[in-house]
Amino acid sequence: MEALKPYIPYLIPVIFIQLGLMVFALVDLVRRERTKGPKWMWAIIIVAVNIIGPVVYLLAGKDES
Amino acid sequence: MMTALTKEWLEQRRTHRLLIVCLILLLFGLLSPLLAKFTPEIIKMVPGGEQISQVIPPPTIADAVVQYLKNLTQFGLLLAVLMGMGMVSQEKDKGTAAMMLAKPLGRTAFILAKAAAMGASFLIGTALAAAAGYYYTLLLFEALPAGGWLALNGLLLIYFSVYAALTLLASTLNRSVLGSGVTAVGFVILLALIEMIPAAGKLLTGGLLGWAGNLALGSAEAPAWGALWVCLGLIAAALTASVLVFRRQEI
Repeated sequence: MEALKPYIPYLIPVIFIQLGLMVFALVDLVRRERTKGPKWMWAIIIVAVNIIGPVVYLLAGKDES
Repeated sequence: MMTALTKEWLEQRRTHRLLIVCLILLLFGLLSPLLAKFTPEIIKMVPGGEQISQVIPPPTIADAVVQYLKNLTQFGLLLAVLMGMGMVSQEKDKGTAAMMLAKPLGRTAFILAKAAAMGASFLIGTALAAAAGYYYTLLLFEALPAGGWLALNGLLLIYFSVYAALTLLASTLNRSVLGSGVTAVGFVILLALIEMIPAAGKLLTGGLLGWAGNLALGSAEAPAWGALWVCLGLIAAALTASVLVFRRQEI
């Protein structure tokens, strides 16, 4: 673990992008009237499936009809 | 054509496709050199990993390039399928394609504008990933040859375009997003099966990526021009097929 400590600052942009994407998808989910499938299911996918969850929701979960 | 292009570019931004492709490719551009550097340390932390880590050689710049290629190809392929599967089928299903075509807009322009918009999104995303990957590799390892790195990313963009074009064809062939997704995954599996034949694999995306890795590391391995031409041919064939199918379809 000690050997990794000097590299922790390099992870900040990575964590920022990951969290930002998750928050962005969750805010969109809350504001959206309709989604393809139940909203609770998308909430779980966004939070639990790292990186892929928010991407799948934003590209395939929104009902824009 | 310009109207169709403007509409598609707006659509890329409005549906967050541009944002997603940029963020994901940027993320893996940053993460790949880090993963290459961290992997031996992470293995050490796993119970019993101390002994395994002694056999693993210290990470090098080649590991960073391999990680970059591996991560970007996996997630780029996924993005190409997810972004492209609804592009035509959804518009046919919702009736927006019929509305667009009622205006003086050709069907060829309709398809090509979609391909160009998706290509532009991938171009920006790949440029961001390339800059991030180059910078982090420089900080954690050493400087990569700039020309080779640029060539690697150019070939990576062609790799993404192959799957984006095939997904666009899948989306043109189907009326539902789900059907398009299944067809696109079918194309991906078919291509992977063909690539398992050694002679054919050298002439497809596998050959292209092998060449890309060699270029980035300054290796003098033989260039895979054959793979490049076959991939460009695949893109052209998929787009031509999309246009021909769409021109004959009842919208």
